[in-house]
Amino acid sequence: MNTLRAITKKELHCFVDALIADGTYDVVGVKAKGKRFVYGPLDHAEDLRLDHDVTILPPKKYFLPPLESMMQYDLKKPFEVQATFDNKQRIIIGMHPYDIIALQQTDVVYLDEQQDDFYKKRRDNTIIIGSDIDAVSERSFAGSMNTHVADTGFDVLISNIGTQYLLTIGSEKGKQLVETYAKTKEATAADLKKLQQKRNTLLEKYKQKVNITTKDWPGVLVANYQHAIWEEHADTCLECSSCTMVCPTCFCYDVRDQVSLNLKDGQRVRTWDGCLLRDFTRVGSGEVFREEVKERYRHRFYRKGNYLPARYGFVACVGCGRCGIACLPDIADPCNLINELASFGREEDTERFFIKQKTTVEETGIIHVPRSATVTRVEHFNDLDTFFEIQLDDGKPLGHKPGQFVEISLFGIGEAPFGVSSPPSDTPRFEIMVRTVGNVTSKLAQLKSGDKVGVRGPLGNGFDTTSFEGKNLIFTSGGTGMVPMRSLINFVLDPKHRKKFKNITILYGAKQPKEITFMKDVDHWKTVCDTQCEVTVDRCDEKECWNGCIGLVTTLFPKIRMDMYDSKNTIAIVIGPPIMYKFVIQCLKTMGIPDENIYVSLERRMKCGVGKCGHCQINGIYTCKEGPVFNYNQIKQLPEAFE
Amino acid sequence: MKQKPRVAVFDFADCEGCELQIANLEEEIIDLLEIVDVVSFREVMKEHSDQYDIALVEGSIMRPIDEKRLQGIRKNAKILVALGACATIGGVNKIRNQWMPDEVMKQVYGDAKVKGNELFNVGKAKALNEVVPVDYYIHGCPIDRDEFKQVITALALGKKPEIPRYPVCVECKKNENICQFELGNFCLGPITRAGCKAICPTHNMPCDGCRGLIKKAETECVKEVLERYHLTYEDIRRRCTMYNYGREECTYDK
Ligand SMILES: Cc1cc2nc3c(=O)[nH]c(=O)nc-3n(C[C@H](O)[C@H](O)[C@H](O)COP(=O)(O)OP(=O)(O)OC[C@H]3O[C@@H](n4cnc5c(N)ncnc54)[C@H](O)[C@@H]3O)c2cc1C
Ligand code: SF4
Ligand code: SF4
Ligand code: FES
Repeated sequence: MNTLRAITKKELHCFVDALIADGTYDVVGVKAKGKRFVYGPLDHAEDLRLDHDVTILPPKKYFLPPLESMMQYDLKKPFEVQATFDNKQRIIIGMHPYDIIALQQTDVVYLDEQQDDFYKKRRDNTIIIGSDIDAVSERSFAGSMNTHVADTGFDVLISNIGTQYLLTIGSEKGKQLVETYAKTKEATAADLKKLQQKRNTLLEKYKQKVNITTKDWPGVLVANYQHAIWEEHADTCLECSSCTMVCPTCFCYDVRDQVSLNLKDGQRVRTWDGCLLRDFTRVGSGEVFREEVKERYRHRFYRKGNYLPARYGFVACVGCGRCGIACLPDIADPCNLINELASFGREEDTERFFIKQKTTVEETGIIHVPRSATVTRVEHFNDLDTFFEIQLDDGKPLGHKPGQFVEISLFGIGEAPFGVSSPPSDTPRFEIMVRTVGNVTSKLAQLKSGDKVGVRGPLGNGFDTTSFEGKNLIFTSGGTGMVPMRSLINFVLDPKHRKKFKNITILYGAKQPKEITFMKDVDHWKTVCDTQCEVTVDRCDEKECWNGCIGLVTTLFPKIRMDMYDSKNTIAIVIGPPIMYKFVIQCLKTMGIPDENIYVSLERRMKCGVGKCGHCQINGIYTCKEGPVFNYNQIKQLPEAFE
Repeated sequence: MKQKPRVAVFDFADCEGCELQIANLEEEIIDLLEIVDVVSFREVMKEHSDQYDIALVEGSIMRPIDEKRLQGIRKNAKILVALGACATIGGVNKIRNQWMPDEVMKQVYGDAKVKGNELFNVGKAKALNEVVPVDYYIHGCPIDRDEFKQVITALALGKKPEIPRYPVCVECKKNENICQFELGNFCLGPITRAGCKAICPTHNMPCDGCRGLIKKAETECVKEVLERYHLTYEDIRRRCTMYNYGREECTYDK
């Protein structure tokens, strides 16, 4: 139970001044900035404005700073990379209940099984002295979100009850702090009554109200996914992402490598990113997965009102009203939007944007700092594709499943995800193949045996090969889709495992003969008895020598010896560029293979690989966590997945 | 060690303020010289060489002789970088494109006899990319030193510099400024390319668009904001004259 102490205004000032004078803590609090308010370092208790309505930025800037150094390295000795932790002890004074609740939500995401160590450190080092709301911001609708009061999530909570203040003690840390630095009295029953009254009358001060409960947000959103309202509003959207920047529950970030002018040392930083920005989903090939402003504008509301509620059980909006103030065309305010949508209709079935499949992610310790590894073999397949064998310097096996991926780092350049192309192994070696498209991939292509890279992973879910046992298997891959596919194929063709699976067909399409990768494997697969392997190219330049098939990968399907296949007992795995899926899946359907027997692996822009940065989201799904391998039946209804 | 990239700095019609930003790197200039060989830089050194890999070119192109010189630079350089607003978008030099070159000459030189002198043969002001292909841009009036360093280190590492394609508001929000519109001012931040760390709004000046527009002034969303703040298309056109005259088209580099 929370204990309650009473304190006079004068003593409260002394308390704050004592905290500042002590010097143990970096004391920050709400201060005036012109007619608005901001969190900033406090020099005197007088600067503290507990009567504030709302701050321009939420206190997330202290937990996930707009620009944060994650690690530092010497470019000559990149494998000695060190995480840069902020060890500052901090007290934040004046946090309103909605911001406290927003921080609790961030905890759920950032302190899950793949815990963000930087965030954790800051969280542990911060004492939160909250404040009940006195002045209500004109755009706030916290009252109708039930976020105008908080019972937990603070160490101390200050409440102005007119004649004096009350301090609610929320934790042992808070208790210690108050006992050490503040002169308080026991709060009386009358004080408690005043506090209750204050909170009750607070509700009346809200001019803005959401007309439905948070429980009903998913229903109204799902029912109106295709509504014209998204386009109407998006027409006036500036694509400035101010709405996400000022939001206490938006915490997506971008990662970059910065190098000092002398090219000696560098750091990897992360900085706030916003899903309203076009480049948020842009990948190396130039494809943008949410190209239309409408899609990005809509995504923000679905993330708040449908995806996170389904995943964690809370609406990721706390009604602070900051986005309503920040959005120049005034289209960002969830209160207005939800009320408008609620007048259109709702749906009970809100599962369409998710898959039930939940992957258990192993706790891997520090999640952002790569392990050091050495390139042990390089082979240039053609002018675009380079094959690498990599050995982890700690001598431990990667421990991956087929279909999982790794993040490969080049310090000073950046980090990028690649599928593991070798089958599971108990040696510390694994293989990848890199197609040159941008900065990281171009630099990787220049590496030589003996060079160092950083490795994070294995990441993602991978294939559950035990569920394929006793089945016929058809593997269809196009382009670099062959990379993870090779891992799976070589696993099932391994004499140790081969008997567990029935007939096997491998179909492989490349743009042109020189882009056929893993030629040695292909030749080998062709010789393995009871395995059919067919290869085709889209086109063949006159100069090139090719006497195989020409045509899209779908032209190979008639070659499958259907008589050997009981389609109900056949599993089909498809990995390739986005446009390939539709056509291949059509062929598989024609063969009578049920949707639940089809598996795909999808690609999205990725940064963190651990469900934090938000880039890889396909509606409510994190491709880096629930994927990249998906059962087709589970995601075929999912908008954005295959469009 | 690999040979250091050779860098040459050139200027055309401009105030040399961006070059000054480089010269003002102070101690860091030593670091810069560690990673590149500066073979030509009129503002700070006498020597000159035509053997260079990277040309940093400042200023707008005004005359046929400038075009020729720039084409020569383009031929010599492996990488050509436009330095500062005059070079990247034409900048303030383009203000005079509102009038015919003859009228401008008359205003400035009166009846002085300059006809036939190629030094005074002035056409419309142009950005570099209206004359030759440009590989990379360091935007701004003047350029931001950090961004300059970022571009140079990227080029020295052989990587493509990442220049923001989003508006100034993103950086302005990170700086926790009170929005200029809220203060009753008219800011071009929402349609101007970021990368300046929102320096103007952070110092309480509305953005003037020196890094170039990433959205047309005619788009629906801009109209909406203008209306909301009782501004007209004429107002935004006038605001854009300062740095973006005749360039109100979208330059969002997809
Ligand atoms: C699960 C998964 C597996 C992949 N497997 C392979 C593989 O086996 N072989 C291969 O050649 N490529 C693979 N890719 C694509 C590869 O990650 C991109 O080509 C690479 O990130 C481009 O990086 P870049 O720095 O060269 O390009 P830039 O355009 O400079 O990209 C900058 C950054 O954006 C992100 N990014 C850009 N493109 C992509 C993308 N397509 N996917 C994810 N993030 C991206 C990365 O963080 C990258 O560092 C895979 C992608 C995913 C998501
Ligand atoms: S909704 Fe508003 S704040 Fe968000 S990106 Fe669009 S214009 Fe900017
Ligand atoms: S001051 Fe200008 S740049 Fe800053 S948020 Fe407002 S409009 Fe955008
Ligand atoms: S959430 Fe960051 S890559 Fe998936």
